[in-house]
Amino acid sequence: MDLSQLPQQIVNGLMLGGVYVMVAVAFTLIIGMLNFLNFTVPALFMLAAVLMWAILEGHGIALDLTAIAVLLVLAMMVADRLQQARLPASVKTVGALGLVAGACVFLWLILSFKPGPAVFAWLDGAVGASGRWLLGIVVAFATVAVLSLLIERFTYRYMKAKYGDATEHALPLVSSLGFLIVIEHTVISTWGSDSLTTESPFGNASFELGPVLFSVPQLLSLILSLAIVFGLSVMLKTTKLGRALRSIAERPDTAPLMGVEVSRIVPVVYVIAGLLCATAGILFTINYTTVDAYIGDTVATVAIAGMVLGGLGNVWGAIVGAMLIGMVEVMSIYMVGATFKKIPIWGLLLLILIVRPTGLFGHTAIGKGKF
Amino acid sequence: MLLEVERLDVRYGRNHAIRALDLELAEGEIVTVLGANGAGKSSLLKAVQGTVKPAAGAVRLNGETVTGWSSPKRVRAGLTLVPEGRQIFVSLTVHENLQMGAYSRSDNFDREIDEIYERFPNLAARRDMLASVLSGGEQQMLAISRALLARPRIMMLDEPSLGLSPILVQSLFDLIADLNRDGLTILLVEQNTHMALQTAHRGYVLELGATVLSGTAEELLADDRLEEAYLGGN
Ligand SMILES: Nc1ncnc2c1ncn2[C@@H]1O[C@H](COP(=O)(O)OP(=O)(O)OP(=O)(O)O)[C@@H](O)[C@H]1O
Ligand SMILES: [Mg+2]
Repeated sequence: MDLSQLPQQIVNGLMLGGVYVMVAVAFTLIIGMLNFLNFTVPALFMLAAVLMWAILEGHGIALDLTAIAVLLVLAMMVADRLQQARLPASVKTVGALGLVAGACVFLWLILSFKPGPAVFAWLDGAVGASGRWLLGIVVAFATVAVLSLLIERFTYRYMKAKYGDATEHALPLVSSLGFLIVIEHTVISTWGSDSLTTESPFGNASFELGPVLFSVPQLLSLILSLAIVFGLSVMLKTTKLGRALRSIAERPDTAPLMGVEVSRIVPVVYVIAGLLCATAGILFTINYTTVDAYIGDTVATVAIAGMVLGGLGNVWGAIVGAMLIGMVEVMSIYMVGATFKKIPIWGLLLLILIVRPTGLFGHTAIGKGKF
Repeated sequence: MLLEVERLDVRYGRNHAIRALDLELAEGEIVTVLGANGAGKSSLLKAVQGTVKPAAGAVRLNGETVTGWSSPKRVRAGLTLVPEGRQIFVSLTVHENLQMGAYSRSDNFDREIDEIYERFPNLAARRDMLASVLSGGEQQMLAISRALLARPRIMMLDEPSLGLSPILVQSLFDLIADLNRDGLTILLVEQNTHMALQTAHRGYVLELGATVLSGTAEELLADDRLEEAYLGGN
């Protein structure tokens, strides 16, 4: 083993940990507030990464997927308005049927004419291929943000409306698994399940500092990811929204007595968590240039491990845990080889959980007072 | 009438907690709602605040029907509830709990928080500590202060004296009378019948979700049937 490589490996571990941090914090936000493990988090991470790849590689069909996601959410919002409107039931029924018919026609139009590639070609001509990454960011963010609203509705809100209790977490967990499968298979049926590779829009920009080679995009990503997560934790700690979020996390039934509109804030949390995943996914594609439909699974297990390691539902714990896991992963690839990298990660997790069942920074009462 | 409850029905599945209940609360009054465990007192307050949906009946605030309103909207309209068991946020600091009380407001409330700290020096001393360090009595003061910060017209309190020592119970009822003198209208649910009737102007006695007795505090204090309602209530 060549020890001179050690500093480089530590840096690589930190970079990888930066990606895990955002995914782990996305998990943490939802589990901390709503007490359920949201499996759409890795799916949204993967989707953003693949959409970024698709746009970089000139696959205009990505725009069609975005259009469908936006369409579904718009239809859902109109349906909501319709349901709440003071109209006779017959008018509502006709409206609902019209809405469904309209949505089907649009869906059919999109699926049969696939306008995405043409729109993409036009945009590409206008912006130039070097600006594709900007379009990729817009497409990935837009798709993930609207999908988050859709997911909120069918995991959390549905449970709340139907059973008056969204902390019954087995069912949202299962419905979030459903979304995971649907999103994964949409990607697989569009682009297959093999590795998808591209080239970083920023080339191999890098600089050396002593024995260590720093990739500029990776370093910027790490800084960005830490800045975002730091900003988020300051928001939770000091702002009115942050206080409201913490109060919902502790007592979802008391927060409304303070005037907190829980049903309006929960979608915001889903969108924030979704955008964290999307940022992580976009940075993953740019930095590692190889994605596939299953990267969500890998990242999710590692991010969950990081989150549990740090202490369930604790933002800072998730950060430390994810960085630690990133380090362990890179170090063990370096020392014992990629085949065995999972053994040190999960071994460490088990060991720490035996010594400290609440994780490094966790509260004793899981699910209470989490941020 | 500031608050009117008309033929209110609350059901939990087949459990009929409130049955065709009528209740009125005039501006400036303290009205107490008494009854044995399970009589439906908390369900009544929850239906008025909007955290449970009534099966039938109406709630009117200042003449306006609010039955379909969400509870945050009712808070903004001047109705606030100090729930059973205080329900303060123990993962927030004392100060943050107070800020949460003013969540529905967009104006400046720093002076009101200062006044609360003057009134309750114990809270001031623990201002930046987690509310979990507070004693039961301090928690009740915090819960009431938090509700006051919403600047309500009506404050509903659900068994505020529960678990307090006799001295604290006395100062709690003094506080309630004080707040009322300053213009706050109060709907008070209590198990401590005697203290409640000494503070309140009028009262209702519930049994199995329906009013079995009502009248001025003096009338109720003199009525033998009050005791029966408690003994026969369950
Ligand atoms: N969430 C609920 N689900 C089902 N039944 C309920 C629920 N909440 C209350 N009940 C029932 O409704 C009835 C009235 O309950 P409520 O809590 O209003 O009584 P209470 O007068 O406040 O009693 P206590 O003095 O013990 O607080 C009881 O029979 C109770 O079992
Ligand atoms: Mg009660």
